[in-house]
Amino acid sequence: MDRNHLKRQVDFMKRSFLDQGYLDEQFIQLEELQDDDNPNFVEEIVTLFFNDSARLLQNIEQALVSGPIDFPSLDNYMHQFKGSSSSIGAKRVKNECTRFKEYCTAGNAEGCLRTFVQVKQEHAILKTKLETYFQLAKQAGPSGTSGGQIR
Amino acid sequence: MGAEVDHVSPMGMSGGSAEGNDKSEGQRFSCKNKLTALVVDNGGVCRAIQTALLRSYGVETEAVETGEAAVQLIASGATFNLIIIEMLLPVLNGPETARQIRAMGAQSKILGITAFFDERHQQEFLAAGADGFIEKPLSPEIVIPIIWELDNYM
Repeated sequence: MDRNHLKRQVDFMKRSFLDQGYLDEQFIQLEELQDDDNPNFVEEIVTLFFNDSARLLQNIEQALVSGPIDFPSLDNYMHQFKGSSSSIGAKRVKNECTRFKEYCTAGNAEGCLRTFVQVKQEHAILKTKLETYFQLAKQAGPSGTSGGQIR
Repeated sequence: MGAEVDHVSPMGMSGGSAEGNDKSEGQRFSCKNKLTALVVDNGGVCRAIQTALLRSYGVETEAVETGEAAVQLIASGATFNLIIIEMLLPVLNGPETARQIRAMGAQSKILGITAFFDERHQQEFLAAGADGFIEKPLSPEIVIPIIWELDNYM
């Protein structure tokens, strides 16, 4: 079991994330930005994303459960959450955000609550998948996540 | 992808393609002149990604968190070829930031950027003096033609 085999596993995992729609092309773009000066760029960005987004999701949760719903606030939080989700290529998460936004714009509390469950779910699933991915990539060694090889 | 750019028509580039970021071709697009950019975004993830993307094309890029910080920077004499401004900034929003930057006489190319494309927001930004308005993420397809144009028509 050599490094090449691990690298292939990493690539295969990434390809499956793309095929199943967890990630989109934007994730590949992030990997393109990784180089010797920034060898862990993607993992750092993704870590930052999950830290930031945990806070945003908490804010949204609070806004949904406390008293009459403040839709403009919800909209603001979701705006930032969707912006960063789309920027890391989190495709399914992004799609749930779009659904949420529609209910939010319509002032539909029930719809927001329902969709928010999906948002959190997709977010959690992606987090687990990417944690596994980066763990495997580390085992594969430096440039285990080589950019540009999966198209 | 919902990307809406009002003014940019990708120009025929002699030296390569818009997909110049494909490393298998051996070359990433890079500007020949010194170009500078400012990213204005209250989200750390977006700031980091947009900055890294622009820098990867050789553009010297700074990032600030607020519209006020951007305005202060330019008021202090800093100039940028390109300024990318998030729509929903707290306090001074994107269009207002653009308006104040223009009011100071800045000739920069200003691009409004947002998470959810909205025509009203597009109109606000353009009325404030922005040159274009796009939906995130900032992609090579959008940004390479802009950099190329700035690089070749300085």
